[in-house]
Amino acid sequence: MEKSFNLLHIIQGRRDGYGFALRPQHIQRYREYANIFKEEEEERSYKWNYFIEQQAKSNHSSSSEEECGAKLQAEADELRDEKISERGRQEDDSSDKNSDSHGSAKSNPGKDVQLSQQPEKKVQLSEEPENEVRRSEQPEKEVQLSEKPEKEVQLSEEPEKDVKLSEQPEKEVQLSKEPEKEVKLSEQPEEVQLSEEPQKEVQASQIPGRQTLLSEESDKEGQLLKETKAKKVQSWSWTRPSLHVIENMMSSRVRNVKDLKDRHNTINGDHLPSIKKTVSSGGSSAVEINKELWIKETSDENDDESTEERSVDRKLSPESFFPLKELEFLVHGGVPKDLRGEVWQAFVGVKKRRVERYYEGLLAEETNTEQSKEHNHKKTAPRKWKKQIEKDIPRTFPGHPALDERGRDSLRRVLVAYARHNPSVGYCQAMNFFAGLLLLLMPEENAFWTLVGILDDYFDGYYTEEMVESQVDQLVFEELIREKFPKLVNHLDYLGVQVAWISGPWFLSIFINMLPWESVLRVWDVLLFEGNRVMLFRTALALMELYGPALVTTKDAGDAITLLQSLAGSTFDSSQLVLTACMGYLAVTEARLLQLREKHRPAVLVVVEERSKGGRIWKDSKGLASKLYSFKNDPGSLVEEKKVNEGDNSLLESHSSNLDDLLNGLSVDSEVDSLPDVQEHVVWLKVELCRLMEEKRSAILRAEELETALMEMVQQDNRRQLSAKVEQLEQEVADLRQVLADKKEQEAAMLKVLMRVEQEQKITEEARIGAEQDAAAQRYAVNVLQEKYEKAMASLGQMEQRVVMAESMLEATIQYQSGKAKALSSPRSVSSSVESPRRRIGLFGLGWRDRNKDKDRTSNHDSGTS
Amino acid sequence: MDRSTGRLGGLNVSESGGVADAKNLRVKLVLLGDSGVGKSCIVLRFVRGQFDPTSKVTIGASFLSQTIALQDSTTVKFEIWDTAGQERYAALAPLYYRGAAIAVIVYDITSPETFTKAQYWVKELQKHGSPDIVMALVANKADLHEKREVPTQDGIDYAEKNGMFFIETSAKTADNINQLFEEIAKRLPRPSTT
Repeated sequence: MEKSFNLLHIIQGRRDGYGFALRPQHIQRYREYANIFKEEEEERSYKWNYFIEQQAKSNHSSSSEEECGAKLQAEADELRDEKISERGRQEDDSSDKNSDSHGSAKSNPGKDVQLSQQPEKKVQLSEEPENEVRRSEQPEKEVQLSEKPEKEVQLSEEPEKDVKLSEQPEKEVQLSKEPEKEVKLSEQPEEVQLSEEPQKEVQASQIPGRQTLLSEESDKEGQLLKETKAKKVQSWSWTRPSLHVIENMMSSRVRNVKDLKDRHNTINGDHLPSIKKTVSSGGSSAVEINKELWIKETSDENDDESTEERSVDRKLSPESFFPLKELEFLVHGGVPKDLRGEVWQAFVGVKKRRVERYYEGLLAEETNTEQSKEHNHKKTAPRKWKKQIEKDIPRTFPGHPALDERGRDSLRRVLVAYARHNPSVGYCQAMNFFAGLLLLLMPEENAFWTLVGILDDYFDGYYTEEMVESQVDQLVFEELIREKFPKLVNHLDYLGVQVAWISGPWFLSIFINMLPWESVLRVWDVLLFEGNRVMLFRTALALMELYGPALVTTKDAGDAITLLQSLAGSTFDSSQLVLTACMGYLAVTEARLLQLREKHRPAVLVVVEERSKGGRIWKDSKGLASKLYSFKNDPGSLVEEKKVNEGDNSLLESHSSNLDDLLNGLSVDSEVDSLPDVQEHVVWLKVELCRLMEEKRSAILRAEELETALMEMVQQDNRRQLSAKVEQLEQEVADLRQVLADKKEQEAAMLKVLMRVEQEQKITEEARIGAEQDAAAQRYAVNVLQEKYEKAMASLGQMEQRVVMAESMLEATIQYQSGKAKALSSPRSVSSSVESPRRRIGLFGLGWRDRNKDKDRTSNHDSGTS
Repeated sequence: MDRSTGRLGGLNVSESGGVADAKNLRVKLVLLGDSGVGKSCIVLRFVRGQFDPTSKVTIGASFLSQTIALQDSTTVKFEIWDTAGQERYAALAPLYYRGAAIAVIVYDITSPETFTKAQYWVKELQKHGSPDIVMALVANKADLHEKREVPTQDGIDYAEKNGMFFIETSAKTADNINQLFEEIAKRLPRPSTT
């Protein structure tokens, strides 16, 4: 099916794959993840296609294929179509038989509707699953429509006198709807269209005729006509047949809840003038619905059980062979983009919720209310919503390409229609984002029904005037987080941060604008599949798990909150988030949450009631005490006072109401006995009782005060002790550190000294070695010299001996020669001449020897010095 | 130790936001006022210096913080809670204004309704807020003076009667935005110097 609204694939520079604005600081990270998203998308679309195919094969007898077949053959054959739809219903019925104890009248809305006496054809349509049938009956419907304004005018004459004023808007609405139909028809896809050409022509010829008729009326209408003609938006489409299996399976859990809801609405509708008026005016579609609902309501009395049945319902799923687990697994992995809109509708059970023409009926009220708001002062509430909606529309995904003029008109209509559908909620900020998101995924009316499902079922009591359930959920979440992350919560407590400050907006917006879009959609996938708010809690816990460690490092409240906000805003890893949430917190179940909600709800209700009274709890309890006091002194006003007290008591303590019961019982007794002394006694007893109550109350208050004081003291004391200890320990540590540092310094100094000593030692050692070497060399030289000296001495000794010998030889020769001379005195002259050369020789010989001696000595000396 | 005592004080009614020390103050500020008067825009202008005419609806509340330095060399860190404007969110407002040292109540000079709503908030805070809370009355959208429907004097008179500080601002033109926060900072009760 074509969705002209689906503009999801527009990607601009600062927008993500869904067309939503990205924060500048996230653009980089988004780009990093864009490819991952793409891969995941491919994988999941493959898986889903496979799953759907498998389902189609295994359920060949199921409705989906039959419907397909029927679709192709369908002509304007009423009987046939009825059969098919009947079969479809049977299947639905059988699906609910196990759990449905209310009988067939209730379990088949179609039959109920028939009882409502309204134009039958039209009502039957509401349960027809086929487009073609609708279209084939179009002419009839139109005839009906053309008659309706008159009827309405007739009837509206009763409550209001200025018929002419209210008449015109009615017609406008009719007109504005007519062209829509036309548009729808022309947009119907493919084969079927061709086969129905003739019919369309008939229709087309009818419509212009009527248009010309009506367009004469006023300029305003002309405008409207233009508007509606320009509106090429398909307002409703059926889910593709391949998803019918899932649709049927999921919508089995809708029915009972729907009954409950509808009853709830009709009850509320009674308080709402606008609905009341349409009831009285008759003829409009809203009336049919109301009647239908009334009948339903009267036919079932066991509605109280229906919420329980709902869970049973799920277990006793009709198609027990339906692989719910497998589907769950797929959902955890994410729903493919192009299936998301329809799968969500299937999860919410839109098909089953939808009541034909209900949406148009709600929108038709618009003109009524606007027309009559001057006369009716009770309509301030709807007007307030309208104003708020107008304020918020331009502030919903500002700048999103799909939310242009037409998109905003759709958004406005959906929100207004919802406010009228459920006046006890009306419009609450945050819905604008939900409706906006849904409109991006599906046609307008589908978005409306999905929104209805989400807000009426999943978030019942969340967005009401007092937002009770929202506050309860915050207390529940706080308890859970205290249980799961005690350390983190301790830290937050220490910083003075309340978890609800941050988780409150998360829950209220269902994470829209709090997480990146990919993650938001993945969370919504699971949330819508599960059909309750469990996923909110799981996701929030997963976020705390992911970011708790970082939070613990923060130093003040502001930093902690800022950090958590920005971390949550950059949770691009949507698969990690969803898996952490779904796998990590299996213990957080709907049953557990229900239990915790029951536990915390009273506290919220007390505060809410206090607020509506405009006082404070403690102030009131004081007031109570003074009341009791005056009452004690004046027993005459006992009964009146008691009534006043009753209200206050029930506020403060649940068991005080028991006391009131007791008091009532006593007064009854007194009437029976009617004995004066007994009566007096009773009065006295009552006074006594009140006195005791008062005492008890003050005692309790005192005890509470003391307890808090004690807690504070203990806490303070503990903290003081702890901090003292910490300080002491820190001091010790510091001392030890100091000592350690000193020691280290000393060590270093010692080391230095040691090194120096060592160095010196080395130097002296070297010096010593050098000296030793010198000494050795000298010793050697001395030895050599000694040797030489000795040698020289020895040779000197020899020389001397030789000299002595030579001298003695010389003397001997001299003596000889003198002896000779004495004997030979005559030849003296001759002898003297001979003697002189000898002496010369002897002298010469000695001289030579001396010279040699000198030579030795010098050489010896030389070697000694060297 | 400073902080822990501040936290313990929070158990009583009179917590005046966290106070770090005499020179570096830390205060919790809450913005209240009807939907669409420009609370978020004032905060964004003050914290980021931006103005976006098409800002988003605030759901629940959102948080931002900003530190400013005063002339006497003290710094003030504002922890700002910007709350949702729609009436029913008032049920959640105590969560945010409890323990706040400052409340900035905003109205739109072009809408008398928002001025009435501002008076409702003043009363609510007088009843339920900290007794020593500093309140400022802010008349926003001063740039739209040709569409003015609430005379300046009305604002001044009401503020004076309730002991509040009054200022007209425009988040769009940034008029008086910083002055608003500076004036508030000056009016803060200083922790006694020990």
